Amino acid sequence: MFTRKRVRLLLLTLALMLSGFALYLDITVRMKFEGKRWAMPARVYARPLELYPGMKLRADQLALELAMLDYRVSAEPKIPGSYRRRGDEFMLLTRPFDFWDGAQSSLSLQIDFDGARLGKLTSRDTGQKVTLARLDPVLIGGIYPAHNEDRVLVRFDEIPPHLVKALIAIEDRKFFTHHGFSLRGTARALLSIMSGGGIQGGSTLTQQLVKNFFLTSERTLRRKFTEVIMSLLLELHYSKEEILEAYANEIYLGQDGNRAIHGFGLASHFYFDKPLSKLDTVQAALLVGLVKGPSHYDPRRQPARALARRNLVLQEMRKLDYLTQAQFVAARSSPLGVVEKAPEGTSRYPAFVGLVHRQLRRDYREEDMRSEGLQIFTTLDPVAQVSAERALASRLTQLEKDRRLPPKSLEGAIVVSSSQNGEVQALVGGRDTRFEGFNRALDAARPVGSLIKPVVYLTALQRPDTYTLATLLDDSPLILRERGTPVWEPQNYDKEFHGQVPLRVALANSYNVSTTRLGLALGVNRIMNNAQQLGIERELRHYASSLLGADSLSPLEVTQMYQAFASGGFRIPLRAIREVLAADGQPLQRYSLSVEQVIEPGAAFLVTHALQYVVREGTAGAVKKYFSSDLDLAGKTGTTNDLRDSWFAGYTGDRLAVVWIGRDDNQPINMTGAGGAMTVWGEMMSRLDPDPLAPPIPDNIEWAGIDSTTGLRADENCPGIVKLPFIRGSAPTETAPCANPAPARSLKNWFRRLFE
Amino acid sequence: MNTRFFYLVIVVITTLLSACASLYAPTPEARPVSVNNAVLALVDAARKDNANGKPDAAVATLERALRIEPRNPVLWQELARLRLQQGQHQQAEGLAARSNGWAGEDKALRAENWRLIGEARLKRGDHAGAQAAFDTAARLVTE
Repeated sequence: MFTRKRVRLLLLTLALMLSGFALYLDITVRMKFEGKRWAMPARVYARPLELYPGMKLRADQLALELAMLDYRVSAEPKIPGSYRRRGDEFMLLTRPFDFWDGAQSSLSLQIDFDGARLGKLTSRDTGQKVTLARLDPVLIGGIYPAHNEDRVLVRFDEIPPHLVKALIAIEDRKFFTHHGFSLRGTARALLSIMSGGGIQGGSTLTQQLVKNFFLTSERTLRRKFTEVIMSLLLELHYSKEEILEAYANEIYLGQDGNRAIHGFGLASHFYFDKPLSKLDTVQAALLVGLVKGPSHYDPRRQPARALARRNLVLQEMRKLDYLTQAQFVAARSSPLGVVEKAPEGTSRYPAFVGLVHRQLRRDYREEDMRSEGLQIFTTLDPVAQVSAERALASRLTQLEKDRRLPPKSLEGAIVVSSSQNGEVQALVGGRDTRFEGFNRALDAARPVGSLIKPVVYLTALQRPDTYTLATLLDDSPLILRERGTPVWEPQNYDKEFHGQVPLRVALANSYNVSTTRLGLALGVNRIMNNAQQLGIERELRHYASSLLGADSLSPLEVTQMYQAFASGGFRIPLRAIREVLAADGQPLQRYSLSVEQVIEPGAAFLVTHALQYVVREGTAGAVKKYFSSDLDLAGKTGTTNDLRDSWFAGYTGDRLAVVWIGRDDNQPINMTGAGGAMTVWGEMMSRLDPDPLAPPIPDNIEWAGIDSTTGLRADENCPGIVKLPFIRGSAPTETAPCANPAPARSLKNWFRRLFE
Repeated sequence: MNTRFFYLVIVVITTLLSACASLYAPTPEARPVSVNNAVLALVDAARKDNANGKPDAAVATLERALRIEPRNPVLWQELARLRLQQGQHQQAEGLAARSNGWAGEDKALRAENWRLIGEARLKRGDHAGAQAAFDTAARLVTE
């Protein structure tokens, strides 16, 4: 009796302990699972391409966009995300997409091009004209946890079905029907342990996942027992899809130095340099084959083993009829297809994503950005980005050859924005565009040289009573003695002095001496404050040498400053983000267009006119050869002391771009702005079909014929007459000697001069 | 206090006057917003959004239209009006100024922009600035 009671008590205690243990395991495993599951990164998208009749778009640009979107070529597009191209005709079935302002379902479109424009846009279902359609946006990257291991997390519906099939075929055929563990497998494992052999295989995917959570590989009975319980518990709480999704993101698939490759998403980039969704069956089979032993079957080091393993996976798929015999035969004989060198990062545009990250950090806590699965819609224009990257890479290589510089010694950065709304369309942080390291577009602050000069001339032109485009400036030798600084004698690039030069000519030829003299007359403080007013936030020094660009700015800051010129006098904060959505698709934040007038329209117009003259007649003349027609674009070259930095900032009717070239160690590169950065700018812009620059003429602008040598009023008798814009009332009234004087006027002037 | 009241009276009178004047000027709506159907569709959508109490959506849609036609002064003005309605006075003023930049010879459109600028300044308490803007509007209408 007594013993029976004791046994019962013992059993009860045991049961209690057991259920306590199970509860403990339950909590642990759920916490682990939830922790992994919700670590979805923010997804970053490019701008969606808008399609409408008459838009500026070439057939090849559409093809490039579709390739980046991974649209498949198909003779008869029937699946969303496929298209057919015949010359300039496209048949296209778009993917449905949930935009921030609503969902767009899949559209069946016929697109015809008319040269550089989209000609007709028709619905293939109804035959009706379509006024406006959007393609889904290109996914350009994610913002991932900052642990040592990065991941490319995928959702279940993003895992290619053939990968799931391969996984089922080789690892766990009953995955969709079992309850977490297989009796036979476990029994076999137990037998194996008892006979002293340790656990040999026999794990379901669920068990493998549990094992991965706890990262120890001890092979004991207790371990096996916990694993089975936990697997059961997981199956109890979560669906098969959820478990498979966690597995796909967790499984260890390789090693890159000290970086562990976890998950099929990252492995897909690591081995194939492609997103997971783009893998075909053969590639998926290889990744699945790696599960068994990533280092043993390493396709880069052990290609023969990897091939055999992959073909085994394919064979298992064939057995289950996942592949037809023909598919199997074809698949078996295809190469591994692994890229030789693992790519540096997972985003194709890490520099741009870097800017997005920085702008987000102003508004979100770092953890929120990582943990909530935000969707971030950016302003990136992949076509502009690709043009910028290619132009920089090809020009730098060519420049090194032409100038006998060591290969790979030059570096560069580019920022491209929309001149009208300040959206950053492209950003290149260095010539190795996949490298996630030093982002020169944001972080390389370099002396800007002559790029600062337009601010000096703006400050002058804001005083129309004293300065106009025709005003003669003094470009004779200048000696500067400032207290506490050595005597300074600014020199021109050509080492000559040019006497009296018209203001616009001094800017066009980037004369240092006359600019310094002008700047000193206006006041350095005033000019530097003006630069700040245009959007420079960094503290600027107020030395005389600042007038010639001794202050350092990043390409992004220069872009912000020139944005005010390109937009006709408005400060428009540069934006890389349009919208942020929460994981559930609810809008979290909009980044709206913001404009503030900081330059009076007349003065802004004069500066743009002067910068157009830089291209027409001045230091930037050679950029014209990149364009077949006259775009009348505006630009400014910049070169710094000892030719260390080569800059060009310029704008067309639709885009503003700033290019910098230099060396990371700041050694001379023997290149002017025109010889280096400007050629990158020209090559890039020429691929983007720029709009001509035709700024609207403000109300207070009038035009007058001017004799270019004297800066006085001219008429058709003057050989060197130019028509120039002036703020109303500021044009010179005095006539040049070459012109027929209007008697009354010149008499009046004669009196006026007498009293002045 | 007295001068402030004085200003207010003037401003109210001028506003009324310019409102009367605008009866004779072609209303902004008389000018077709665009010849581009895509832009027209977006403007319609934005107006509907706003009428349905979704001004933020309307702003987003107008910005979308502006990406297609960044030089269309009517779009800039429409956005300025929305911002004014939302109480974003400084933005309204900047956007109306931007519209003026592209308005060219369209005096009615420019007068409307100046009225928007005037109202924005008034709401910000800049009475003298508001007055100057209303004056410009009135001058444009009578010219």
